[in-house]
Amino acid sequence: MADWKGTIDVPNGTPDDLKSGVAERLQKREDERQTLLRKRREEQDDLDEKVQDSLHSFLEILKSERLSLEKSLAESSSLERSKLIDHFDALSLRVQKLQRNVSESALFLPPYELKTAQNVIVLLQSKIQETRDQLLPKKKFAFTKKQNKKPALEGKQSKDIDLNSAKNVLSKSDDDLVVEFTACKFVDRTGETLQKNANEINQKDIALVNLANCTVLLYGAPSAVHINKLNKCTIFCGPVPGSIFIRDCVECTFVLACQQLRIHSTTNTEFYIHVTSKAIIEDCNKVKFAPYNWKYDTIEEDYNSTGLSKQRNNWDKVDDFNWLVADVHSPNWSVIPSIDRVTSWKL
Amino acid sequence: MGLLTILKKMKQKEKEVRILMLGLDNAGKTTILKKFNGEDIDTISPTLGFNIKTLEHRGFKLNIWDVGGQKSLRSYWRNYFESTDALIWVVDSADRMRLGDCKKELHTLLVEERLAGATLLVFANKQDLPGSLSAPEIREALDLNSIKTHHWLIQDCSAVTGENLLNGMDWVVNDIASRIFTMD
Repeated sequence: MADWKGTIDVPNGTPDDLKSGVAERLQKREDERQTLLRKRREEQDDLDEKVQDSLHSFLEILKSERLSLEKSLAESSSLERSKLIDHFDALSLRVQKLQRNVSESALFLPPYELKTAQNVIVLLQSKIQETRDQLLPKKKFAFTKKQNKKPALEGKQSKDIDLNSAKNVLSKSDDDLVVEFTACKFVDRTGETLQKNANEINQKDIALVNLANCTVLLYGAPSAVHINKLNKCTIFCGPVPGSIFIRDCVECTFVLACQQLRIHSTTNTEFYIHVTSKAIIEDCNKVKFAPYNWKYDTIEEDYNSTGLSKQRNNWDKVDDFNWLVADVHSPNWSVIPSIDRVTSWKL
Repeated sequence: MGLLTILKKMKQKEKEVRILMLGLDNAGKTTILKKFNGEDIDTISPTLGFNIKTLEHRGFKLNIWDVGGQKSLRSYWRNYFESTDALIWVVDSADRMRLGDCKKELHTLLVEERLAGATLLVFANKQDLPGSLSAPEIREALDLNSIKTHHWLIQDCSAVTGENLLNGMDWVVNDIASRIFTMD
């Protein structure tokens, strides 16, 4: 027994000594663990900060590079023909570099930013290719191939057009449906002032379709409003306890109060609104918002009968379904500065 | 014991069903969900994303998924198809202008493999509006009679008044129960 006792490190001491030794070691390990944890946490914080920084600088780089590429691309047509090949090669190389940058950044990019960045690159590549094809048509041996390609392309395009026209026919017939059925409506008018009073519209649903250069006055509280294809119109409406649905309008002015407002495919249009939830836009451009300011004799009664809260107005909280970036304002909508707002409507 | 029996037993134990609620934007999906759950419907904003509600109904646990219907969100619908027991398709019965879109989107869903076998309830919503189409008119417009692949029912309703919401849900639960659970 004595033989192996010397070779193995057996701690000797009283049980109490042993215990405190263990406790000490445990404490030491605990301390080490805590330090490690703290260090890791700090590193993590550092990393988060770095990610934020790199995200920011990434977006900056992407933007400036895109702009400069687009600029040089626009200048292509003014260059000498002999220099064009080099010019386009250089541009392609830069896009490739950008692509690499995006791939490397994929780790810290939020999915939305990544998708946007990839779209930008695809767009740039196709633009370069397009300009290149335009200014430097392919050599003769490739010509037959191109010829083959072209009719196919045209075929596809004409098919698209066919599809579109088919779609038009379809939507046209859908519109006809409205003409046939909705009792309360204005359809296919040009250059008129149209008006409906409370007894005609209260608690009804209203359709405004295919109007141009019209002024529409809805003195009352309809339950819902559907608006489609207006051009240069001005629309006024009393409080709506339900939703207003707008699409395909151009250069209009809307003065509306409602619970929900959905705006689709609309451009160059001003909205003076009272919305108790949140207005949303989708596929819109250059739409502007200001608070509701229409007044007519029985508006108080209409507010009361609909129960639409007068206090709660989220006119400037607009959700853009095409702009999911949280910290940057959507480029598609803006607030009308107070000095530019219409303060009294001449009717 | 076959696999089907095992699956049935598992489902039966939980009595949990997954219901997917879809439809064009402005159809009233969120309003139906909130009304059914007894919540305030005056403050509902258009859905950017989705809502999930779990509620008990007649001893069943209903997981209802309400996914936004904006055009830009429709491509994400397919992410919610997996293991869906019932599809509730909500229609704005007063939106005559988009019935064509509505029909197209619905029939695109019905050929979806992952929705095969799901019960289909069509809510012809907004019946409180005087200009709304009736359930038979909606059935015609959406060509529901051509559907042979799913158990389906069209139910007129109004999310604002709550009318017929319960009838519709009851039918959904019954139909799922008769398929998956042995009825008590």
